[in-house]
Amino acid sequence: MIKQRQQFHRTLGLLGLVLLAFLGLGFRLLDLQVWRHEELVKLAEQKSLQTTWHPARRGDILDANGNQLATSVFVKTLCADPSLIGGQQAVVARAIAPLLQMNEADLIRRLTPRIVQNAKGERVTNGLHYVRLQRNVTDETWRKIKTAMSQLTFGVDEKKLSRAHRTFLRGLRSSAVFTEPMDDQLRVYPNGMLAAHVLGFVGTLDNTNHTSELFGYDGVEKFFDDKLRGASGWRVTGTDRRKNELVAMRDEDVGAQSGLNVVLTIDAAIQHIVEGALTNALAKHRPQSITGLVMRPRTGEILALASFPSFDPNNLSTITTNTGPNRMISDVMEPGSTFKTLVIAGALNERVVRSGDPIFCENGVFRYAGITLHDSEGHHFGNLTVQQVLQKSSNIGAAKIGIQLGADKLYAYMQQFGLGAFTGIPLPHEASAGRFVHPLKGKYSIAQIPMGHGVAATRLQMAMAFAAIANGGELMHPMLVKRLEDSSGRVVQSYEPKSIRRVVTTGTAKEMVEALKTVVSKDGTAPLAAITNYTVAGKTGTAQKVVDGRYSSEKYLVSFIGFFPADNPELCISVVMDSAKEGGRAFGGSLCGPIFSEIGRRCASYLNLPPDAAPTAPVIATALTRNPAHTP
Amino acid sequence: MVDSALNEREPKLDRLQLVAVALLMLIGALFIYSATMSTSGAVALPWQDQVWIRQMVWYALGSGVGVVLCLVDYHTLARWAFVVYGAAIFFLVLVLIPHIGTTHGWGAQRWIDLGFFQFQPSEFAKLAFILAAAHYLSRPVEELRERRVFWRGIGLIVLPFVLILKEPDLGSALVLIPTGLVMMLAAGTPKRYVLQLVGVVGVLAALLLVDILFAPPRWQVPMQTYQRHRLLVYFGQDFAAAGASPAERAQARQLQFDKSYQVTQALISVGSGGLLGKGWGKGDQTALGFLPPGAAHNDFIFSVIAEEEGFVGSVVVLTLYTVILFTGLRIAGRARDRLGKLVAVGVVTLLFSHVFVNIGMNIRIVPVTGIPLPLLSYGGSSVLCSLIALGLMQNVHIHRRGY
Repeated sequence: MIKQRQQFHRTLGLLGLVLLAFLGLGFRLLDLQVWRHEELVKLAEQKSLQTTWHPARRGDILDANGNQLATSVFVKTLCADPSLIGGQQAVVARAIAPLLQMNEADLIRRLTPRIVQNAKGERVTNGLHYVRLQRNVTDETWRKIKTAMSQLTFGVDEKKLSRAHRTFLRGLRSSAVFTEPMDDQLRVYPNGMLAAHVLGFVGTLDNTNHTSELFGYDGVEKFFDDKLRGASGWRVTGTDRRKNELVAMRDEDVGAQSGLNVVLTIDAAIQHIVEGALTNALAKHRPQSITGLVMRPRTGEILALASFPSFDPNNLSTITTNTGPNRMISDVMEPGSTFKTLVIAGALNERVVRSGDPIFCENGVFRYAGITLHDSEGHHFGNLTVQQVLQKSSNIGAAKIGIQLGADKLYAYMQQFGLGAFTGIPLPHEASAGRFVHPLKGKYSIAQIPMGHGVAATRLQMAMAFAAIANGGELMHPMLVKRLEDSSGRVVQSYEPKSIRRVVTTGTAKEMVEALKTVVSKDGTAPLAAITNYTVAGKTGTAQKVVDGRYSSEKYLVSFIGFFPADNPELCISVVMDSAKEGGRAFGGSLCGPIFSEIGRRCASYLNLPPDAAPTAPVIATALTRNPAHTP
Repeated sequence: MVDSALNEREPKLDRLQLVAVALLMLIGALFIYSATMSTSGAVALPWQDQVWIRQMVWYALGSGVGVVLCLVDYHTLARWAFVVYGAAIFFLVLVLIPHIGTTHGWGAQRWIDLGFFQFQPSEFAKLAFILAAAHYLSRPVEELRERRVFWRGIGLIVLPFVLILKEPDLGSALVLIPTGLVMMLAAGTPKRYVLQLVGVVGVLAALLLVDILFAPPRWQVPMQTYQRHRLLVYFGQDFAAAGASPAERAQARQLQFDKSYQVTQALISVGSGGLLGKGWGKGDQTALGFLPPGAAHNDFIFSVIAEEEGFVGSVVVLTLYTVILFTGLRIAGRARDRLGKLVAVGVVTLLFSHVFVNIGMNIRIVPVTGIPLPLLSYGGSSVLCSLIALGLMQNVHIHRRGY
């Protein structure tokens, strides 16, 4: 029957269509699953893994007694999503501006998206979904902001608003202001400017993923940066499409390792004493700069190291070119008369002279190799013993002793005392001054150098050399760091005192100490450096500064380096002042002596040092009018 | 019941089809489990709230209803066809009334919330339509030549089509067209009419597409934005209008990326499955939520199967559907009368349309429309309707010799 056949054909056609369609599906599946499998697998894997970083807490810097000198706190970075704020910038700004201590108008401006031109000259909407409001927001402030945001009121009865509007307000309250997911670290120096030049400061490095890390920029922060920094942890994890982490898909999870704590030899109390004394001197004499150092001569431990003008590492805007360098280690200067100590120590050690030997001082004028040397004005010394040359700081006496020692030996002793070489203090930017310490050339060098002229060293090098004499002739490495410990206080590495070499015999050292004791006597150049109840040994220095290639008669670098109790030295103290503007004629004894004395007295009291001298009458006022010896 | 004794040699049921259906239900339960249990939240749910358990309950219910329907001769059922059709239209109107129909937050009002069950009238309307159309078209062939009868038939399609389009549910509305056309053709409506109809529908569809893709905004037919986006994604068209500023263009590009996301991820899922797949429960795309959790066990269940069981698994699923469709056509061919034949053809076409469109959108040969994969996709209405439809088909088979 024709109808039957027609219907049969139609059914068959339908069957064919179904088959064809399914074959099409099958072919497409073959294409995707077999032929293009590799390519699509790559796409599938590439986006499902995510690495997040755990920041490592930067280690603390502690003083010898465990007081925090530098520490880290985790802080948040506050951001906002202006698209969620709509037109309510003013309300939001009013609520949070006081908490952030920001200007309200400024905040409103930041919360408003604006059209700007990008690098390609296209106009784009800036800050539509993300603006950074403030960095370094503490947890406490963030909590307050969250509360303030959740309690915002808009002066309308919200029950009457449309549902969409209510949803908008809910979103505004809960999500318009948020923080970066990863906390930043804020470096805090609880004592402000204390030991700023030792500690240094940190910089912030911004990563592309809206996080930042700290890195040491100067001082211990820089030198021990890799120890302080610690190691970031990471987590490689599968994520869902909203980038939420899936715990079950976590591949690697390595916790952050906190940085090590650096324990310094610095004693905050002594540092405070030194900085107090230097600050007073700064106000009184208005020098260009002043430095102070307190050290244990027997170990080389530095208890205090200060350089002014200084800065506050909490506030990097206080750093200027003037405050920048740590003058103690990076300034290379002509030491002046303190250098005579090293020459005479060498001569005594070589037995070229004995401390009692008379040296004829030419009655104040000494012509040698075409130059004329003078003792400081008014002085026309005849015969002085070697000890007295030191006591009176005679230039001519020192020159003659130097000549007797000879150029080669003199150079050798300079090197032996550590001049021209890095002391190895663990601080960046140390100068060796090696350029200025070399075999003596020229005929008159041998007469000039013994008075600390035509040779240069850092303040620290000179202090270390003095400490060597105090230490019975043994030169020590300066120690600034006692140990490194991990965050739980376990010692990871400890540093021990280390001797560099023996420079002079103990006998020579003893003779030198005896000679240096006389310097602070009333006949010496620095009676003001004396410390009640303690015997002090030390030496003044007054060097004319070179200004425009010539020795200036107005700018002096004055210094006093000494130690006490002289025969059983506990502390070696150096005070160096550059170009004092007040205080009349500048002499090491009169300017730096009193500062040395003050620091010494207070340190002795703080450390309970046993006195080694009978109480003596206070230094009489006439000492002030006495003209101490002066060297150019 | 009596006639069963008379036909001992020939099986009462189409066993091959039943086996295929049972296997698909098994696969459905397995992969709905896999698609939902990988998200950590789902594991914590009480057992009665777990999606795969619920799906099994729907399978049981649907099978039960299907069996009950087989007990009654389809001729008896067909007498109620227009009552059922009227009820379906009533519910389609009801769902459009605010506060009765719910949107589930999807922007389309397709559901009536019955508390324990989200009733989706459009699914049942498809069934009602098949029954009514079969009943209507089973009249003598001579009558079908009459224009009046032809146009009424068209009206039978257009009424639910428009109502479903209004929800809007373009996909469900569109599957009515091939179903209706094939049923007309199978009924013996003159080819001329049908071809004209196909021509008109084709031209209209082409015009609509051109309008959406190329016309300036003012000339475009009103359409839900998400529907327009889906079509733009499918045809790879730029979202931005021709004269858009760079800022708007960038925004449009982002939007395009977002909107293409589901499709791209489904494609990646299928492709990353490879020949043998990653193994049951090991599909990262689903577990990591790249296939959105709301869609993985619904419209994109095929992607899950394809990812976890690979090409082999996909072909198995396709084969099972082919078996159902072929046995369905066999039932149509052996049917006692035109009514039975039309019911079977209608059901086959409807199922085929669903399978083709759903799998097609998973592998990006058809634009995304919210059409479930019969028996595999999660959803009470869809499962119930698929099983009732299959029950009707078996009914035609059982009563093929109605002595």
